[in-house]
Amino acid sequence: MRRSHLLAAALVTASVGAVTLWFFDPASSGVFPACPLRYLTGLYCPGCGSLRAIHQLLHGNLAAAWAMNPLAVVLLPFLSYELASEALSVWRGRGLPQMFLPAAWIWGLCAVIVLFGVVRNLPVHPFDLLAPGAMFRP
Amino acid sequence: MFCPQCGASNADNAVACVQCGRSLQAGTIAATPLPATGVVIPPGATVPNYLVFAILTTVFCCLPTGIPAIIYAAQVNGKLQAGDYTGAQAASGNAKMWCWISFGLGLASVAVSMLLFMLGILGNLHHH
Repeated sequence: MRRSHLLAAALVTASVGAVTLWFFDPASSGVFPACPLRYLTGLYCPGCGSLRAIHQLLHGNLAAAWAMNPLAVVLLPFLSYELASEALSVWRGRGLPQMFLPAAWIWGLCAVIVLFGVVRNLPVHPFDLLAPGAMFRP
Repeated sequence: MFCPQCGASNADNAVACVQCGRSLQAGTIAATPLPATGVVIPPGATVPNYLVFAILTTVFCCLPTGIPAIIYAAQVNGKLQAGDYTGAQAASGNAKMWCWISFGLGLASVAVSMLLFMLGILGNLHHH
């Protein structure tokens, strides 16, 4: 498949996803299917709450988004930048300025993601605050 | 100097772009084997690490298969740092493979969830 086709597919998917996420809160609407891992094991994976976090971000609720998945909130700006760069590089042949991530940083990021996934399942304070929504109970 | 392909900032004597792996030396110099590995970097070649795709699948699609993709992404950059172009390419291929495995699993799990959801609705209708 050509890169431009992939890009078009990704843009359509992202737009449909964003519009759906703006209108429906995954926490309450039932439009979004339940996560199979959560359904089968009851565990929170590192990404648990990320869709609910995006829903809150789209409505400007940073605190609520942070409570749902702080890791997703931190990573989202970087991923958006990279995706924008990717789109631009297909469209005009040149992406946005990039910096080389030393391998150690990527290993560190990997460790953070795995550790976050483990720690947010611990029923011990303060780690239990990392479970989706635990920090923000109005 | 800046990479003509991705715009990354590189050392002036860099052989290949640290970000995208594109050869930065034109003409005869590009055909010179790297002293460390004896590998010739083809001009215009890239070594993508698929890190963005890997993180997307791991953190936004809840797929543990994204973790090997991140590990291979780290290996791509580590091998580029060491000047091991062939190794970086191999790791890049593995990163890509795990990204597509994750993507397929993601699609499959959405399909299964949808199916169960619809079966649930049908079950409820039958019940009433």
